[in-house]
Amino acid sequence: MAEAILEVRGLHKHYPLTRGVVFRKQVGAVRAVDGVDLDLVAGETLGIVGESGCGKSTLAKLLVQLERPTAGVIRYKGEDITKLSGRALKAVRRNIQMVFQDPYTSLNPRMTVGDIIGEPYEIHPEVAPRGSRRQKVQDLLHVVGLNPEYINRYPHQFSGGQRQRIGIARGLALQPEIIVADEPVSALDVSVQAQVINLLDKLQQDFSLSYVFIAHDLSIVRHISDRVGVMYLGRIVETGKDAEIYDHPTHPYTQALLSAVPVPDPTAREHRERVLLSGDVPSPANIPSGCRFRTRCWKARERCATEVPLLAVPAVFRGEESPAAHDSACHFAEAKRVVPAEGA
Amino acid sequence: MTAATPAPLLEVRDLHVEFRTRDGIAKAVNGVNYRVAEGETLAVLGESGSGKSVTAQAVMGILDMPPGRITGGEIVFQGRDLLQLREDERQKVRGREMAMIFQDALSALNPVLSVGEQLGEMFVVHRGMSRKDAKNKAVELMDRVRIPAARERVGQFPHQFSGGMRQRIMIAMALALEPSLIIADEPTTALDVTVQAQVMDLLAELRRELDMGLILITHDLGVVADVADKIAVMYAGRIVESAPVHDIYKAPAHPYTKGLLESIPRLDQKGQELYAIKGLPPNLVRIPPGCAFHPRCPLARDVCRTDVPPLYDVPDGRGSACHFWQEALHG
Repeated sequence: MAEAILEVRGLHKHYPLTRGVVFRKQVGAVRAVDGVDLDLVAGETLGIVGESGCGKSTLAKLLVQLERPTAGVIRYKGEDITKLSGRALKAVRRNIQMVFQDPYTSLNPRMTVGDIIGEPYEIHPEVAPRGSRRQKVQDLLHVVGLNPEYINRYPHQFSGGQRQRIGIARGLALQPEIIVADEPVSALDVSVQAQVINLLDKLQQDFSLSYVFIAHDLSIVRHISDRVGVMYLGRIVETGKDAEIYDHPTHPYTQALLSAVPVPDPTAREHRERVLLSGDVPSPANIPSGCRFRTRCWKARERCATEVPLLAVPAVFRGEESPAAHDSACHFAEAKRVVPAEGA
Repeated sequence: MTAATPAPLLEVRDLHVEFRTRDGIAKAVNGVNYRVAEGETLAVLGESGSGKSVTAQAVMGILDMPPGRITGGEIVFQGRDLLQLREDERQKVRGREMAMIFQDALSALNPVLSVGEQLGEMFVVHRGMSRKDAKNKAVELMDRVRIPAARERVGQFPHQFSGGMRQRIMIAMALALEPSLIIADEPTTALDVTVQAQVMDLLAELRRELDMGLILITHDLGVVADVADKIAVMYAGRIVESAPVHDIYKAPAHPYTKGLLESIPRLDQKGQELYAIKGLPPNLVRIPPGCAFHPRCPLARDVCRTDVPPLYDVPDGRGSACHFWQEALHG
């Protein structure tokens, strides 16, 4: 594999739960991110999927250092950015930008589009000298497919899809190398979603960007990602190339997740096997011992309650050349196809 | 498949709904026709602003009036036009004969009443039951929608339940009086996929058991493919295509449906560039003349800019509101 531009090792973010006002003491912790390892290779898209509460948005905030981790390292080109502060951190942030989910709340309603997209230049004036900013912003508007004449309009004058384009333009302003996109299309209508996904694809090629693409929609993640990580309760439970995860999942959670996605093909409903999970996701303040998925898993045995499964190629597939031989944190991993092959 | 069209349970005829807004009159529904037979599932598919929810609210009689106004049409339910009924007569239909499941269970449930009281209220109001009997009924209903430990949880409040469990309570409430028609407005949109699958399965199973008609309003083409018998696709307040579920996925007869199907990424295949319908959905205050879809349509010609297409008959009991449906179907 090519060298990673971003390396994450043992990343944790715990939010303390406290009791008492005067004698405040910690009574527990919400373990939002609880030991994440991942690598992002230059020019690729790493998709992170998971259900609500799995910690994927906290992970996004950690990657851009909007949140400081409780433990673990994030290395950008070999340098641990979690230890940086002040000027050094600012310099790194220029290269790692974020696109947010909700285009309605992530744009300041009292600022014009020109000011919103140009604001990063106030913080990093070295990127664009004052005189050239207006031109730069107009170029960016053009790049994301908006009319450059809209520079003086306000966010409310735009539709959801157009606002998301503004958010993307703001993310691009500093010519970053990495963009962390947290659910960038989930607030958009289907027909507009496709436009924004295509735009993200095109920008990646034009500016050789690396993406961390976080979403709950498995179909969209497959479409856009080169590699995929599946997250459950603060940890990545399975990771691999897109075809490995979607066509040869070995972790029971991934299998359940994939089998639950409705496929827009009514003929599929007859011969599709559903793995229905029972119950809800446990609270991240009270994570089960051993394997964190065991409380909802149909394969769980005693070993799962005592021994934490590591994210590695499972023993049964080790040394094999098969697509099932990818990292999966399950003691009893087995390959199972749950998404019917095309035309099957 | 249901047998050759029995008398429909519900028939919406040429329904028009407008809203007064600051910018002018927004024409949310512009001549919608659909019918649902007993035991049949109709999916109404559309993006935001297509009028799919407004139509359902008009059927239920819960439209905010004003600013909303029904300007024309009939809603014939079990042989009676609901729009001609007095409010107290309408009240009797609601809940007893037709019920609705909303998208956001947390805001649809009353936060200061226990779920048992809210479920039991149906029986107290409509059946005149005592509070005690009503509570037992509530437990029974919660069992039915498979909420674990129903007897212990009947006194709990909505915030103490997870999203999936709350949606089950919504379903229980809708089913309470065993209505013959259920309208579900995006019932699983707010839920995670694994929970969505549980809830949709439950809804489909109960619908079969009680042989109810179901109108499923959604924007998710995947959910539709899983449960519906037939589909009506809405755009700018009109039905642009209607068909049995299998046909529409195999060969859409309207360029909008076709565009929608091609614009969603698939789980089972990794495509190249997605097809994107160009442009934006229209502003309902200024719906384009002729076919409302023409500014975004790859097949648009002069006639589309001037003449509103009727719902043309397409073979096999389908309909398409496109002047060039043959081209859409075969092209």
